[in-house]
Amino acid sequence: MKLAGYVLPIDRADIDTDQIIPAHLLTGVETTGLGEHLFKGMPGGRELLEGAHPQADVIVARENFGCGSSREHAAWSLRDRGFRAVIAPSFARIFHENAYNNGVAPIVVAAEHIDGLLGAERLHIDLIDETIATPDGGTIHFTLDPLRKQFLLEGGYMEFMAKRIPRVRGWLAAKAS
Amino acid sequence: MPQSLFDKIWEAHVVEELPGGNALVFVDRIVAHEITTPAGALEIQRNFGDVLFDPKRIVAIYDHVSPAKDTETAIQGKILRDWAKRHGIAMHDIGQNGICHVVAPERGYVEPGMSLACGDSHTCTLGAFGAFALGIGTTAQAGAMLAGCLILQRPKVMKITLEGRLAHGATAKDLALYVIAQIGFKGATNHVIEYGGSTIESLSMDERMTLCNMAIESGATTGLCPPDETTFSYLRGRERQPTGEAFERNVARWRTLRADSGATYASEIVLDVSGLRPIVTWGTNPGESAPLDGTVPADASAASLEYMGLTRGTPLRSLGLDQAFIGSCTNSRLSDLRAAADVLRGRKVTIPTIVTPGSQAVKRAAEREGLHDVFQDAGALWTHSSCGPCLGMSMGVIAPGARCISSTNRNFPGRMGAGGRVHLASPAVVAASAVLGHIAGPEELAPVGAAEASVR
Repeated sequence: MKLAGYVLPIDRADIDTDQIIPAHLLTGVETTGLGEHLFKGMPGGRELLEGAHPQADVIVARENFGCGSSREHAAWSLRDRGFRAVIAPSFARIFHENAYNNGVAPIVVAAEHIDGLLGAERLHIDLIDETIATPDGGTIHFTLDPLRKQFLLEGGYMEFMAKRIPRVRGWLAAKAS
Repeated sequence: MPQSLFDKIWEAHVVEELPGGNALVFVDRIVAHEITTPAGALEIQRNFGDVLFDPKRIVAIYDHVSPAKDTETAIQGKILRDWAKRHGIAMHDIGQNGICHVVAPERGYVEPGMSLACGDSHTCTLGAFGAFALGIGTTAQAGAMLAGCLILQRPKVMKITLEGRLAHGATAKDLALYVIAQIGFKGATNHVIEYGGSTIESLSMDERMTLCNMAIESGATTGLCPPDETTFSYLRGRERQPTGEAFERNVARWRTLRADSGATYASEIVLDVSGLRPIVTWGTNPGESAPLDGTVPADASAASLEYMGLTRGTPLRSLGLDQAFIGSCTNSRLSDLRAAADVLRGRKVTIPTIVTPGSQAVKRAAEREGLHDVFQDAGALWTHSSCGPCLGMSMGVIAPGARCISSTNRNFPGRMGAGGRVHLASPAVVAASAVLGHIAGPEELAPVGAAEASVR
């Protein structure tokens, strides 16, 4: 699966989920329609999005993206606004999982690549091959979690879990006996 | 092979190894609150027949916006309440509720060796009991409600040994901020922190919860304190714990939950904390802190300084304040309120000060001791229990540029209100600062009655 690859560069580290979507906007019960709230908690967030390419679907940022609150609304708002990948040297654990479950690829690349990627207008990203083709003709390989990659590309986390129920019940029964 | 405490708990909960180094991990207890649970509950209702793996393992707690502030939050509460009723899930509703990380332990829903998950990052608080307690997203919580399990990569284990007794004036909050400063704001990402050492042994459960609460602020999956007599005596007699011999049998089992000698860790850190002094954050994450007696550091990041309206070298004590807040899952338990009340007794606050107990049970206990009188006599606002101003969601929001000293856990940009500036500190430091109107420690306050004495 290939992305359009238009980049929204955010040259910041530690972008926490309060910045991605602040708590006062977590009052709904649906997972859709949150794109309008994206980055409302970030200083300069609105200007950042206004300046983005209309088809921007990739964010490049620095380390520890998605730290803080567990709110899956962060991933929901990114997805709803059309973002399909975030490239960063590292992600906070909970956001990392939430991103996979919502079609937003958390792409980990070495910190040394970030300066170059922040400067790129467009990247060719192939989530199946796990490659980023850079404007200078180079290729960056990344690794997705092989199990979660399936959820990323096709969804199905809950279906996967539903199929595990008999096995879990069996494990529990064996443990109790 | 000798095992860490975490190794033992992890291996007792792995149902199945999955591709890519993942594991299907059984969840003994799910804590559900009104902000992150409804979407997952609706998903199961709409697409999976509204069948839960085991409602008895779930507890629902009306938590963040309690009581509801508008139609949307009322709907969140109603969905949680209706869902709990439909499935026979224990529910702690408005009036008997509070912050889930305060209510769950005080009612005895957490115990050593269990796995516990909640759609809330500060679930790590409950690692204080020697439980594997972690925050998760809504989808992961829904998966656990449906199938009893999470999919997790096995975290590495970081052993942090704390030695020495906390000196007068130093608190578990200062300890938490100190640990984060030592290992870094993201230094424990994908690690469980296994605490140990004489300091931990000397801490009460309230203090251990304060320490573990902020494990997530170094990126950790959770913090973990080895269960001991302090843990067992806290749990003895709690509402959801068995009584008599059944409880003592559990205690005998919990006593075996120790790291083996010779257990190996991904990393090990030993810190002597006997000289620890109060710490206050100056920046925009909990790792950006300095001693209360210190200054904004010379290597402070420009972005943090700009947001916080600070310059390098400024003494923290010189910073004027617009609001003070005592509360949150970090510091809203009875011992925290006592510490704040000890500072405020007989004194007056000079800035708007909000005191929010962590649960209605904490509130009642505090009022039986007259703490509500102390706070209100001092001119502070004494509220019902909730997350309160901590996350700028329901009440006590601060204005752009306003500076608030807070006993909470996050000083992120906009956390307590767009453009608001947050300094994290212990309840005693927050209380002293509320009296003086600038960042201050209790030792700066004139003795109570000194002013009257001089007039006479």
